[in-house]
Amino acid sequence: MSTLTSENATVGMEAPVLRHTLTRTDLVRYAGASGDYNPMHHDEVKATAAGQPSVFGHGMLSMGFLGSAVTAFAGAGSVVDYAVRFSRQTWPGEELITSVTVSAVRDEAGERLADLDVRLTNADGEEKVVGTATVRLATGA
Amino acid sequence: MAEGTTLDELIGTRTAVSTVVVERGPVGFFADCVFDESPESHDPAAAAAAGHAGVVATPTFPIAFESWGRFAELQNEAEQGPGMMAALAPLVAKGGLILHGEQSFHYHRPVVVGDVLRGEGTIVDAYAKESKGKTMTFVVTETVWTDAESGEPVVTSRFNIIHRI
Repeated sequence: MSTLTSENATVGMEAPVLRHTLTRTDLVRYAGASGDYNPMHHDEVKATAAGQPSVFGHGMLSMGFLGSAVTAFAGAGSVVDYAVRFSRQTWPGEELITSVTVSAVRDEAGERLADLDVRLTNADGEEKVVGTATVRLATGA
Repeated sequence: MAEGTTLDELIGTRTAVSTVVVERGPVGFFADCVFDESPESHDPAAAAAAGHAGVVATPTFPIAFESWGRFAELQNEAEQGPGMMAALAPLVAKGGLILHGEQSFHYHRPVVVGDVLRGEGTIVDAYAKESKGKTMTFVVTETVWTDAESGEPVVTSRFNIIHRI
Protein backbone atom coordinates (compact mmCIF):
# COMPACT_ATOMS: atom_id res chain seq x y z
CA MET A 1 0.00 0.00 0.00
CA SER A 2 3.01 2.32 -0.03
CA THR A 3 4.03 4.70 -2.77
CA LEU A 4 7.66 4.82 -1.58
CA THR A 5 9.50 1.57 -2.37
CA SER A 6 13.09 0.32 -2.46
CA GLU A 7 12.95 0.60 -6.27
CA ASN A 8 11.70 4.18 -6.62
CA ALA A 9 13.17 5.89 -3.52
CA THR A 10 15.36 8.85 -4.46
CA VAL A 11 16.67 11.82 -2.50
CA GLY A 12 14.30 14.78 -2.82
CA MET A 13 11.19 12.67 -3.41
CA GLU A 14 8.18 14.22 -1.63
CA ALA A 15 5.24 12.46 0.00
CA PRO A 16 1.67 13.43 -0.88
CA VAL A 17 0.68 16.39 1.32
CA LEU A 18 -2.01 15.87 3.98
CA ARG A 19 -4.09 18.86 5.11
CA HIS A 20 -6.46 19.10 8.04
CA THR A 21 -8.24 22.04 9.66
CA LEU A 22 -8.13 21.47 13.42
CA THR A 23 -11.41 21.49 15.39
CA ARG A 24 -12.17 21.36 19.11
CA THR A 25 -13.83 17.99 18.48
CA ASP A 26 -10.49 16.68 17.12
CA LEU A 27 -8.89 17.65 20.45
CA VAL A 28 -11.59 15.92 22.51
CA ARG A 29 -11.29 12.76 20.41
CA TYR A 30 -7.49 12.76 20.69
CA ALA A 31 -7.71 13.32 24.47
CA GLY A 32 -9.76 10.13 24.72
CA ALA A 33 -7.62 8.13 22.30
CA SER A 34 -4.35 9.08 24.01
CA GLY A 35 -5.49 9.42 27.62
CA ASP A 36 -4.05 12.96 27.83
CA TYR A 37 -6.66 14.91 29.81
CA ASN A 38 -4.62 18.08 30.35
CA PRO A 39 -7.49 20.65 30.50
CA MET A 40 -5.52 23.08 28.30
CA HIS A 41 -6.57 20.83 25.38
CA HIS A 42 -10.32 20.52 26.06
CA ASP A 43 -11.49 23.01 28.72
CA GLU A 44 -11.87 26.49 27.20
CA VAL A 45 -12.69 28.02 30.63
CA LYS A 46 -9.47 26.76 32.22
CA ALA A 47 -7.36 27.52 29.14
CA THR A 48 -8.49 31.17 28.98
CA ALA A 49 -8.12 31.52 32.77
CA ALA A 50 -4.51 30.37 32.29
CA GLY A 51 -3.97 33.20 29.79
CA GLN A 52 -4.29 31.15 26.60
CA PRO A 53 -6.47 32.56 23.77
CA SER A 54 -8.35 29.22 23.60
CA VAL A 55 -7.76 25.50 24.01
CA PHE A 56 -4.79 24.33 21.94
CA GLY A 57 -3.77 21.08 20.28
CA HIS A 58 -1.80 18.26 21.89
CA GLY A 59 1.76 18.21 20.56
CA MET A 60 1.31 14.47 20.14
CA LEU A 61 -1.74 15.04 17.92
CA SER A 62 0.49 17.10 15.61
CA MET A 63 3.19 14.41 15.70
CA GLY A 64 0.53 11.76 15.04
CA PHE A 65 -0.93 13.60 12.04
CA LEU A 66 2.54 14.14 10.58
CA GLY A 67 3.24 10.43 11.17
CA SER A 68 0.13 9.61 9.13
CA ALA A 69 1.74 11.33 6.13
CA VAL A 70 4.78 9.05 6.68
CA THR A 71 2.74 5.81 6.87
CA ALA A 72 0.61 6.82 3.85
CA PHE A 73 3.89 7.30 1.93
CA ALA A 74 6.05 4.40 3.19
CA GLY A 75 3.48 1.95 4.58
CA ALA A 76 2.07 1.03 8.00
CA GLY A 77 4.73 -0.68 10.12
CA SER A 78 7.60 0.78 8.07
CA VAL A 79 8.79 3.28 10.69
CA VAL A 80 12.14 2.51 12.37
CA ASP A 81 12.80 5.95 13.89
CA TYR A 82 10.57 8.99 14.31
CA ALA A 83 11.82 12.00 16.29
CA VAL A 84 10.41 15.52 16.49
CA ARG A 85 10.69 18.84 18.27
CA PHE A 86 7.50 20.78 19.08
CA SER A 87 8.04 24.34 17.82
CA ARG A 88 4.68 26.06 18.38
CA GLN A 89 1.18 25.41 19.68
CA THR A 90 -1.64 24.55 17.27
CA TRP A 91 -5.05 26.26 17.48
CA PRO A 92 -8.61 25.29 16.50
CA GLY A 93 -9.39 26.71 13.06
CA GLU A 94 -5.80 26.41 11.83
CA GLU A 95 -5.11 24.33 8.74
CA LEU A 96 -2.23 21.91 9.40
CA ILE A 97 -0.14 20.85 6.41
CA THR A 98 2.37 17.99 6.28
CA SER A 99 5.72 17.99 4.48
CA VAL A 100 7.74 14.77 4.13
CA THR A 101 10.87 14.64 1.92
CA VAL A 102 13.40 11.85 1.36
CA SER A 103 16.83 13.07 2.55
CA ALA A 104 18.83 9.83 2.12
CA VAL A 105 18.47 6.28 0.86
CA ARG A 106 20.86 3.73 2.37
CA ASP A 107 21.46 0.06 3.14
CA GLU A 108 21.94 -1.09 6.71
CA ALA A 109 22.15 -4.68 8.02
CA GLY A 110 20.70 -6.05 4.79
CA GLU A 111 17.76 -3.64 4.73
CA ARG A 112 17.06 -0.70 2.46
CA LEU A 113 16.16 2.39 4.50
CA ALA A 114 15.07 5.93 3.67
CA ASP A 115 15.67 8.93 5.93
CA LEU A 116 12.93 11.55 5.79
CA ASP A 117 12.78 15.21 6.79
CA VAL A 118 9.35 15.85 8.28
CA ARG A 119 7.63 19.14 9.05
CA LEU A 120 4.14 20.32 10.00
CA THR A 121 3.15 23.93 9.31
CA ASN A 122 -0.01 26.03 9.21
CA ALA A 123 -1.30 27.75 6.05
CA ASP A 124 0.96 30.79 6.76
CA GLY A 125 4.02 28.51 6.77
CA GLU A 126 4.48 28.80 10.55
CA GLU A 127 6.35 25.73 11.79
CA LYS A 128 4.52 23.58 14.39
CA VAL A 129 6.59 20.37 14.43
CA VAL A 130 9.92 19.54 12.81
CA GLY A 131 11.94 16.34 12.83
CA THR A 132 13.17 13.26 11.04
CA ALA A 133 11.99 9.73 10.38
CA THR A 134 13.64 6.58 9.08
CA VAL A 135 11.53 3.99 7.24
CA ARG A 136 12.23 0.45 6.08
CA LEU A 137 11.55 0.26 2.35
CA ALA A 138 9.36 -2.47 0.93
CA THR A 139 9.92 -3.93 -2.50
CA GLY A 140 7.31 -2.66 -4.97
CA ALA A 141 6.05 -6.02 -6.28
CA MET B 1 12.11 14.24 43.12
CA ALA B 2 12.17 14.71 46.88
CA GLU B 3 12.69 18.12 48.45
CA GLY B 4 16.31 19.17 48.01
CA THR B 5 17.01 16.56 45.32
CA THR B 6 19.36 17.91 42.67
CA LEU B 7 18.71 17.38 38.99
CA ASP B 8 21.74 15.06 38.80
CA GLU B 9 20.19 12.83 41.45
CA LEU B 10 17.00 12.62 39.39
CA ILE B 11 18.90 10.81 36.62
CA GLY B 12 18.35 7.08 36.90
CA THR B 13 14.98 7.38 38.68
CA ARG B 14 12.70 4.50 37.67
CA THR B 15 9.41 6.22 36.80
CA ALA B 16 7.16 3.27 35.99
CA VAL B 17 7.04 -0.41 35.13
CA SER B 18 4.00 -1.50 33.14
CA THR B 19 2.68 -4.51 31.31
CA VAL B 20 0.22 -3.56 28.56
CA VAL B 21 -1.99 -5.39 26.07
CA VAL B 22 -2.31 -3.92 22.57
CA GLU B 23 -5.98 -4.15 21.56
CA ARG B 24 -7.74 -3.58 18.24
CA GLY B 25 -10.34 -1.02 19.40
CA PRO B 26 -7.84 1.46 20.87
CA VAL B 27 -5.40 0.95 17.95
CA GLY B 28 -8.09 1.67 15.35
CA PHE B 29 -9.57 4.63 17.23
CA PHE B 30 -6.13 6.17 17.82
CA ALA B 31 -5.35 5.84 14.09
CA ASP B 32 -8.66 7.58 13.27
CA CYS B 33 -7.89 10.40 15.71
CA VAL B 34 -4.53 11.17 14.02
CA PHE B 35 -6.10 10.71 10.55
CA ASP B 36 -4.06 7.59 9.71
CA GLU B 37 -6.13 5.78 7.06
CA SER B 38 -3.66 2.92 6.52
CA PRO B 39 -5.77 -0.22 5.87
CA GLU B 40 -3.18 -2.26 7.87
CA SER B 41 -4.08 -0.19 10.97
CA HIS B 42 -7.80 -0.96 10.68
CA ASP B 43 -8.37 -4.21 8.82
CA PRO B 44 -6.93 -7.59 9.96
CA ALA B 45 -7.08 -8.96 6.38
CA ALA B 46 -5.10 -5.98 5.02
CA ALA B 47 -2.53 -6.36 7.83
CA ALA B 48 -2.15 -10.10 7.13
CA ALA B 49 -1.86 -9.48 3.37
CA ALA B 50 1.02 -7.08 4.08
CA GLY B 51 2.76 -9.77 6.14
CA HIS B 52 2.04 -8.42 9.62
CA ALA B 53 1.19 -10.63 12.61
CA GLY B 54 -1.77 -8.39 13.50
CA VAL B 55 -3.38 -5.00 12.90
CA VAL B 56 -0.49 -2.52 12.96
CA ALA B 57 -0.42 0.32 15.52
CA THR B 58 0.21 3.80 14.10
CA PRO B 59 3.75 5.09 14.90
CA THR B 60 2.82 7.33 17.86
CA PHE B 61 0.45 4.82 19.52
CA PRO B 62 2.98 3.91 22.29
CA ILE B 63 2.06 7.25 23.92
CA ALA B 64 -1.35 5.65 24.69
CA PHE B 65 -0.15 2.20 25.87
CA GLU B 66 -0.59 2.88 29.56
CA SER B 67 -3.98 4.60 29.13
CA TRP B 68 -5.65 1.65 27.43
CA GLY B 69 -4.18 -1.83 27.98
CA ARG B 70 -2.60 -1.54 31.44
CA PHE B 71 -4.82 -4.05 33.21
CA ALA B 72 -4.43 -4.24 37.01
CA GLU B 73 -4.03 -8.02 37.18
CA LEU B 74 -0.97 -7.87 34.89
CA GLN B 75 0.99 -5.44 37.06
CA ASN B 76 3.55 -6.26 39.72
CA GLU B 77 2.93 -3.56 42.32
CA ALA B 78 6.22 -4.38 44.09
CA GLU B 79 8.25 -3.00 41.18
CA GLN B 80 6.26 0.20 40.58
CA GLY B 81 8.03 3.54 40.37
CA PRO B 82 6.42 6.84 41.38
CA GLY B 83 5.37 7.75 37.82
CA MET B 84 6.95 10.53 35.79
CA MET B 85 4.67 13.33 36.99
CA ALA B 86 5.07 12.29 40.65
CA ALA B 87 8.84 12.33 40.18
CA LEU B 88 8.52 15.88 38.86
CA ALA B 89 5.96 17.05 41.48
CA PRO B 90 8.34 19.34 43.43
CA LEU B 91 9.23 21.09 40.16
CA VAL B 92 5.55 21.45 39.19
CA ALA B 93 4.72 22.75 42.70
CA LYS B 94 6.87 25.83 42.01
CA GLY B 95 4.33 26.91 39.36
CA GLY B 96 5.40 27.78 35.85
CA LEU B 97 4.57 25.95 32.68
CA ILE B 98 5.19 22.33 31.65
CA LEU B 99 5.80 21.85 27.92
CA HIS B 100 6.36 18.77 25.81
CA GLY B 101 9.58 19.74 24.07
CA GLU B 102 10.59 16.72 22.03
CA GLN B 103 9.45 13.15 21.43
CA SER B 104 10.94 10.16 19.68
CA PHE B 105 10.19 6.51 18.98
CA HIS B 106 12.72 3.89 17.90
CA TYR B 107 11.18 0.69 16.56
CA HIS B 108 12.81 -2.77 16.46
CA ARG B 109 9.63 -4.17 14.91
CA PRO B 110 6.07 -2.88 14.38
CA VAL B 111 3.66 -2.98 17.32
CA VAL B 112 0.64 -5.13 16.44
CA VAL B 113 -2.70 -5.99 18.01
CA GLY B 114 -2.24 -8.97 20.33
CA ASP B 115 1.15 -7.84 21.60
CA VAL B 116 1.72 -7.97 25.35
CA LEU B 117 4.54 -5.57 26.15
CA ARG B 118 6.53 -4.72 29.25
CA GLY B 119 7.75 -1.14 29.62
CA GLU B 120 10.40 0.20 31.96
CA GLY B 121 10.60 3.99 32.24
CA THR B 122 13.70 5.77 33.53
CA ILE B 123 14.72 9.41 33.77
CA VAL B 124 17.85 9.42 31.60
CA ASP B 125 18.73 13.14 31.61
CA ALA B 126 17.89 16.26 33.62
CA TYR B 127 19.46 19.70 33.40
CA ALA B 128 18.58 23.39 33.73
CA LYS B 129 19.37 26.40 31.55
CA GLU B 130 18.75 30.11 32.01
CA SER B 131 17.07 31.73 29.00
CA LYS B 132 15.64 35.28 28.73
CA GLY B 133 15.36 35.57 32.51
CA LYS B 134 13.51 32.26 32.80
CA THR B 135 14.76 28.96 34.22
CA MET B 136 14.19 26.13 31.79
CA THR B 137 14.49 22.63 33.29
CA PHE B 138 14.74 19.73 30.85
CA VAL B 139 13.86 16.19 31.93
CA VAL B 140 14.14 13.25 29.52
CA THR B 141 12.28 10.01 30.30
CA GLU B 142 13.04 6.90 28.26
CA THR B 143 10.67 3.93 28.23
CA VAL B 144 11.98 0.65 26.83
CA TRP B 145 9.17 -1.68 25.69
CA THR B 146 9.96 -5.36 25.24
CA ASP B 147 7.84 -8.37 24.26
CA ALA B 148 6.59 -9.63 27.65
CA GLU B 149 6.97 -13.26 26.56
CA SER B 150 10.24 -13.32 24.59
CA GLY B 151 11.99 -10.32 26.15
CA GLU B 152 12.88 -9.08 22.65
CA PRO B 153 13.03 -5.27 22.30
CA VAL B 154 10.06 -3.75 20.43
CA VAL B 155 10.01 0.06 20.76
CA THR B 156 11.80 2.71 22.83
CA SER B 157 10.11 6.03 23.54
CA ARG B 158 11.87 9.24 24.68
CA PHE B 159 9.73 11.98 26.20
CA ASN B 160 11.38 15.37 26.78
CA ILE B 161 9.60 17.66 29.24
CA ILE B 162 10.47 21.32 29.64
CA HIS B 163 9.52 23.15 32.84
CA ARG B 164 9.68 26.93 32.38
CA ILE B 165 9.45 29.40 35.25
